[in-house]
Amino acid sequence: MASTACFVIVSKNDIPIYEAEVGSAPKKEDLAHQHQFILHAALDVVQDLAWTTNAMFLRSVDRFSDLVVSVYVTAVHTRFMLLHDSRSDDGIKSFFQEVHELYIKIFLNPLYLPGSRITSSHFDTKVRALARKYL
Amino acid sequence: MEDYPEELRTPPVSLVSIVGCPELHPSISAALSSQQPPMNTLALPDFSKASILARSGKARDPLAPPQAPAGILKKDWLLKHRTRVPAAVAALFRADQVSGDPAQWLQACSDLENLKSAIQGKNTKLVVVLVQAQASDELSEDVTVALRKRAEIDSRHMIVLVEQDETEWSRSLSKLKNVFAELCSAFYKEEGRRIKARIEKRNFSSVELSIRYCFKVAVYAEFRRDWPEALKFYEEGVRVLREMIGTSTRLPPTQRLVEIKAVAEQFHFKISTLLLHAGKVVEAILWFRKHIRSYERVVGTPEVAFLHWEWFSRQFLVFGELIETSAATVPDTLSPRFGTADNALTEWEFQPAYYYQLAATYLREKRYAIECSSSVANLTTEASGIPESVMPSVYVGQYVRLFEQGDTVSVLPLSDTEYTSYALSEAERFQDSYEIIALFRKAYESFQSLGATRMASACSRGMAIEYYAAGDFSNAKQLFDGVAGLYRQEGWTTLLWENLGYLRECSRKLNFLKDFISYSLEMAALPLFSGSGEENRENKIKSGPGGSPTISRRENIQQEVINVLKRKQAPDGTNDEFDNAMEETTHLDIDQISPLRMVLTASVAFHDQSVKPGSPLLISVSLLSHLPSPVVVDQLEVQFNQSDCNFVIHSAQEDSPPLDSNLHDQVVEATSLTLFTNKWMRLTREIKSGQSGKLECLSVKATINKHLVICCHAESPASMEDFPLWKFEDHVETLPTKDNVLAFSGQKLIQVEEPDAQVDLVLNSAGSALVGEIFIVPVTILSKGHAVHSGELKINLVDAKGGGLLMSPREAEESESHDVELLGVSTVDGKELKEEVDSIRKIQYSFGVVSVPTLSEGDSWSCKLEIKWHRAKSVMLYVSLGYSLGSTEEEALHRLNVHRSLQIEGQIPLLVTHQLLRPFRREPLLLSEIRSLGGDDKKCSLAMNESNMFIVNARNCTEVPLRLHSMTIEPDDDGKQLCSVQQVSGISNGHAVIAPSEEYKGIFSVNPRASSSNFHLGDICLNWSRDSSLGEDQETHVIMKQRLPEEIKYSLVDSQNFVFSGAHNHAAFILPKSEHTVSHKLVPLGSGSQQLPRITVTSVRYSAALTPSTSAATVFIYPSEPKFNLETSCSTSDECVS
Repeated sequence: MASTACFVIVSKNDIPIYEAEVGSAPKKEDLAHQHQFILHAALDVVQDLAWTTNAMFLRSVDRFSDLVVSVYVTAVHTRFMLLHDSRSDDGIKSFFQEVHELYIKIFLNPLYLPGSRITSSHFDTKVRALARKYL
Repeated sequence: MEDYPEELRTPPVSLVSIVGCPELHPSISAALSSQQPPMNTLALPDFSKASILARSGKARDPLAPPQAPAGILKKDWLLKHRTRVPAAVAALFRADQVSGDPAQWLQACSDLENLKSAIQGKNTKLVVVLVQAQASDELSEDVTVALRKRAEIDSRHMIVLVEQDETEWSRSLSKLKNVFAELCSAFYKEEGRRIKARIEKRNFSSVELSIRYCFKVAVYAEFRRDWPEALKFYEEGVRVLREMIGTSTRLPPTQRLVEIKAVAEQFHFKISTLLLHAGKVVEAILWFRKHIRSYERVVGTPEVAFLHWEWFSRQFLVFGELIETSAATVPDTLSPRFGTADNALTEWEFQPAYYYQLAATYLREKRYAIECSSSVANLTTEASGIPESVMPSVYVGQYVRLFEQGDTVSVLPLSDTEYTSYALSEAERFQDSYEIIALFRKAYESFQSLGATRMASACSRGMAIEYYAAGDFSNAKQLFDGVAGLYRQEGWTTLLWENLGYLRECSRKLNFLKDFISYSLEMAALPLFSGSGEENRENKIKSGPGGSPTISRRENIQQEVINVLKRKQAPDGTNDEFDNAMEETTHLDIDQISPLRMVLTASVAFHDQSVKPGSPLLISVSLLSHLPSPVVVDQLEVQFNQSDCNFVIHSAQEDSPPLDSNLHDQVVEATSLTLFTNKWMRLTREIKSGQSGKLECLSVKATINKHLVICCHAESPASMEDFPLWKFEDHVETLPTKDNVLAFSGQKLIQVEEPDAQVDLVLNSAGSALVGEIFIVPVTILSKGHAVHSGELKINLVDAKGGGLLMSPREAEESESHDVELLGVSTVDGKELKEEVDSIRKIQYSFGVVSVPTLSEGDSWSCKLEIKWHRAKSVMLYVSLGYSLGSTEEEALHRLNVHRSLQIEGQIPLLVTHQLLRPFRREPLLLSEIRSLGGDDKKCSLAMNESNMFIVNARNCTEVPLRLHSMTIEPDDDGKQLCSVQQVSGISNGHAVIAPSEEYKGIFSVNPRASSSNFHLGDICLNWSRDSSLGEDQETHVIMKQRLPEEIKYSLVDSQNFVFSGAHNHAAFILPKSEHTVSHKLVPLGSGSQQLPRITVTSVRYSAALTPSTSAATVFIYPSEPKFNLETSCSTSDECVS
């Protein structure tokens, strides 16, 4: 499991709707900030890159020192952004795909307003479990 | 990059030396440096200077055991090879120096010897150049051979330069250049091979030497422009160097690390330069990545971490500058899909800005490290002090201390402690902040131009933090403000939180109370729910002054604002803050786009859509706050565009008198005005509507803690927008009003209607109007409770069937005539409003405006509208009275209007018909050709020189009796000549009264005097009036005409009163302008007025039939002697072709 991993889901209007520190390293508040800054800045690249390819999974679109940003863009342009230091592309890809399925389930919930914050604790638990499994 | 020495930054250039003949040196060195590849020249004016070419270092004792090297690279080695160690030396002799005088020859020989001894022991090649004035000055063979032998050189290296001749000179010079190039290449190759042999044989005692040899071989390869080999050996050197970190023990660990990094930096710089010059951008970036990865963890001890970060930052800066200067672009062959398997690089890695930004980040890291180190150093090594006279040693990355003892100066190595304190004191002298800001700014501008706003704002934020750290709060605030805008827009609340934390501190430091309060309130109202994190000192530095984003922190911040407002001491202990700003109350304006909308939002809804003036109406004021703690509002002031309606609600707990005692305001007491988080506070009040017009709620002012006035723009619930940051949060949404309908459709404005007009406008009509007369409509204005000031009467005539205009647009173009026309307005006393010509602004055909004099209460005024109908038409008459209640300007703005309308029918008064009666036959039963015809508008034939009866019927079609004054026929010129008209019966007593639907008959006798096929009799003039009113003229035209047809068929029908002979059906052809007579003999069977057999005439061509009217086919049979033959003749010319 990666020591550092920050996972953020950004809605299509650029608002973060889910945030999770999924790394195994002890959580530090200041780092959480730092990670969000990196992820936010990486949105610029994703914005350009997402239209050049059909693939949903964009690996390492940006790097900040030893941290790499990988992105998964869904069809409605919701972006799953993962800041990580691990190198296993396959694991990250599987992680994204599984999270995508979870996200679709959230989306199917008639009480969920698309684009709003994901507060489901079930989702959170599942995402963290997936992170332990793949990252 | 500018810090690097020149020799490192530029590619090495071969060095040659020329000695003697100083006057030729400029031209020779210019020629050599212009060569491709260029050569630098070390020009020595005479042979006495040749000693500097000799090896400067002391001769090493070959028998002494090899000493361990004191360092990896000597600092001046590269410089030495570029400026002092030539690859070849050329000795220049003039021809006369060697050919003539033996003393001179001896001198030349000894010079040559000296030179040879100077370069002895090196591989430096020797060239002898003889300078001749002219090519013809042939030197004797033995002189040159002798010289060559003395110099011990190959004949190829003996060159003759011809000075005078231009072509010879350049030819010989190029020969010299070739020789030099060849010798240089040989020299550097040889040197390289020599060193390389040592590496291959592993003939060295320490790893330092290995690295040094690698460097040397690479540099020699560079001299030869053998880039791949240079690259190979640089990379080898780097590899060995990296391995050395853990193994070497020569120096104390800190200094060792510093030295290794300094050397690595040089190696890396060389490699990057080589790769970028070769256009291998991708390789260069990958190499850089590798370089960074291998050194980023080599921080060393915490005390010297700042050295590492400084070095690390410099790597990024230099690489960024290299990329920028090499103008390397992303190669086209590279896949545009960054971050994929075939292209592991990201897009930004090709941008220098990316490296600048990282350099700035790491430089900031260095600043933090220095802060830590200084605080530690101040505590522990206070006594030891900073060692004096420390200077860089001859080796790259090493420092030594000069130690003076008497006259001897010796160099002593430093201990790590000494070195650390020295480095710290050096580092503290620099202001890194400006460097960091400059780097961030560079990156910011670059990213901005690339359109990457988020990256740019990340850089902008970096700048701002640096300004903040440097104490330049106004700059910091400005930058933070810009960045906060982006985060607000995109809803990254955690980032916004941190930004606002800085902004809050900036305003605190700048003593901007208003900003401090607004930033604090915004922070407190941010939707943040992350778990509680305890604060510590480290967090405070890294996560900014805002602290960690938790609910408790939000509550703290809100409390801080309250405390500041209460002039209490702030929890941070800065008790003197905002002392001068506290004098007055602070006003915050919150409009619909303000980020402070989360703090307080006011929604105002009227319960009705319109209301009568002066009547009570209900208004709901709802306030919502997202602040975490309850907010106690002292006073709530609701303001309208009509200030009379403003009202103030006081909290009951408020015991002090109201601050703002506006006399107009209605003051209301409420029990408690406390806003709970995310819960609407709803207040419903009854207010009195003001003047007529729009009544709009403008703002709601909430006074909090007496000194903070928050002025919220009122919002209609119907058009209220979501809260940008709270929109997608998971929380209960409530409606601003309890009434659901009002919550979705309520408006903050209401229409106050006009007061009811208390003036009567009466339109009297006398039934329907008659065409031709001037129809009078009296209008009466009766004031019943309002005085009429500057009244105005507008009159409009509109077609009752719709269409508005009284004539079609096409008609309007064709003629000026109108069907109905407004002629004028007269006052009741009959005189036209001539003296008030100014006040009658306009009377047009269908529209008029008349001013009404000022009327006091109870007065009345009336006027008459004169309207004339030209055609029977139904018309709507609209009359509207606009007036104001007073003559003052303010009152004049409020105009009241009264509208009345009336439909008036226009009728034709008289229907005029006429009839011609031809004279009966004088002789009994003998009819003339002429008979009476129907009164239709048909052509008739009249008997010439006979008196024909012409009867005019005028029938009253109206419901009122009409008075006929005269009925005449006015013959035109044609008629006057051709016939005479006399009135047989006239109108007695001047007029005749015709009751409704009665008929008046006028009888005229017409006596044609000449035969004419077509003449116009004249016009009938009727002069009539209503039985009680004025009369009018009326004209009727009767036109008689004749036409000429051709082929006919006719048939006769039997009649019971006659027997007749002849064909029942027959056809005939009639030529134009001719007559055809059909003759039948009739025998009447009875006397009296009898019907003749009917004849029907049909025109074949037109299939048109004509049957004479009954009256025309009636004859009177005298009851005298029987047995008479009657003859009917029908004039075929009677036929009318339709």
